[in-house]
Amino acid sequence: MPDRGKILFILVLATLLCSCTQVRPWEMGNLARKEMAWETDPLEAALNDHIFFSKEASSGGNSAAGGGCGCN
Amino acid sequence: MKQLDKRPHSRTLIALSSTALALPGIASADAPPTQSTLSYKLSNYSEDNLSREQVPFGSLERYDIDVHQFRLVAPVGRDYSVQIDANHENMSGASPWFTTAGVDGSPIINMSGASGITDERSELAIGARYYLATGSVGGTIGYSEENDYRATYISFSGQKTVNEGMTTVSVGVSHSADDIFPTDAELFNRVRNEDKRSTSAVLSVSQIINQHSTFQLAASLTEQSGFLSDPYKFRDVRPDSKTQIALSSAYRYFVTAADAALHADYRYYHDDFGVSSHTFNMAWHQNLGNRWQLIPNLRYYTQAAADFYTNIDDFQKPLTEFQSSDYRLSAYGAFSGGFSVVTFINDWTATLTAERYVADHKHSAYAVTQPGAALVSYTRLSLGFDFTF
Repeated sequence: MPDRGKILFILVLATLLCSCTQVRPWEMGNLARKEMAWETDPLEAALNDHIFFSKEASSGGNSAAGGGCGCN
Repeated sequence: MKQLDKRPHSRTLIALSSTALALPGIASADAPPTQSTLSYKLSNYSEDNLSREQVPFGSLERYDIDVHQFRLVAPVGRDYSVQIDANHENMSGASPWFTTAGVDGSPIINMSGASGITDERSELAIGARYYLATGSVGGTIGYSEENDYRATYISFSGQKTVNEGMTTVSVGVSHSADDIFPTDAELFNRVRNEDKRSTSAVLSVSQIINQHSTFQLAASLTEQSGFLSDPYKFRDVRPDSKTQIALSSAYRYFVTAADAALHADYRYYHDDFGVSSHTFNMAWHQNLGNRWQLIPNLRYYTQAAADFYTNIDDFQKPLTEFQSSDYRLSAYGAFSGGFSVVTFINDWTATLTAERYVADHKHSAYAVTQPGAALVSYTRLSLGFDFTF
């Protein structure tokens, strides 16, 4: 990753973390909505992972790549 | 056996998504599902044909795949849940076999499976999860099989919510033992029986930023060893081990005024084959009342070429020297866009999705010294149903 990209990434991350405010459980209504989930449609996400893994050289990210694959 | 020649074309859908599923959202990370959900999705994946300029002889047709996905997630008692996944794929088509130089020096593709390839893949995985007061632990075991490929895998993950519910830390590990036994091995002088091992670990931290937004940062490390070449390529020689790292981030923001959620995701990837990549994804989940939802989605992917990639096979090279003309190891970029329409009717959810993907070396953000031949473009259509009971 270019240095500028790394710096920008760290700045964005630091800004987001520094701007955190305490949210009480009764204030989490929006956060608990289905459309706010990391994966709103697990089957859709799994299928896309499957396709991109098969057709691109990259994999991994926010899930453990546990399964085998014949896509050399 | 119907197939004449083929490249295995599979992926373990379930294990890859199991950890992600364990993070349905920070607010519910340590709570079991209150109802059972049965899901089914039918998809058709169809790659564009190649042109006669690219392939002077033989079939221009590429892969066409029908995918059936089933999933059941159910609570068991107060503290447990189980998950069962079953997938089935039917594939037909052809894939690049080797490349040669044309009259003008540009690569010419020679396709495998002149009379067509057919194959099937089936997969079953079962997982369970135990929920604690501020976290959960779970595991999945799975098995998949094709005519020439078999995978057995296991994964474990755990997560804990800290910082008064504002932060969730998750860890996951997995291992897969795969066997490769290519068809027509004697006829085409392919390897007879090889194996591959993959071990992976992931760490992620999810943070609530405020009442409207959350952020997730994750890192994964995967070690592969064994036979990592493509047994169906005429000449494909790759190292027998690979280390992969991926750093990813995800951001969710709920726009109250629009009754919509913005999803923004980014991933950086690097491996010791020399491939690096950037992936950007954005989606907008627009609610229309209580019954409808529209989801446009845009994605950009770009990767650098592997150190040993060549777009024209060199058959003079000794077999001890690494080389591959696999277009997936070339430098290129890919744009994709999709659109989903979701409707909620009582206990049912129906989702219709259309997606278009176009890869081209001209879209690459990395330097392209050898443009990849046969980069793929495809169209996907999916129809899914969820029933909650």
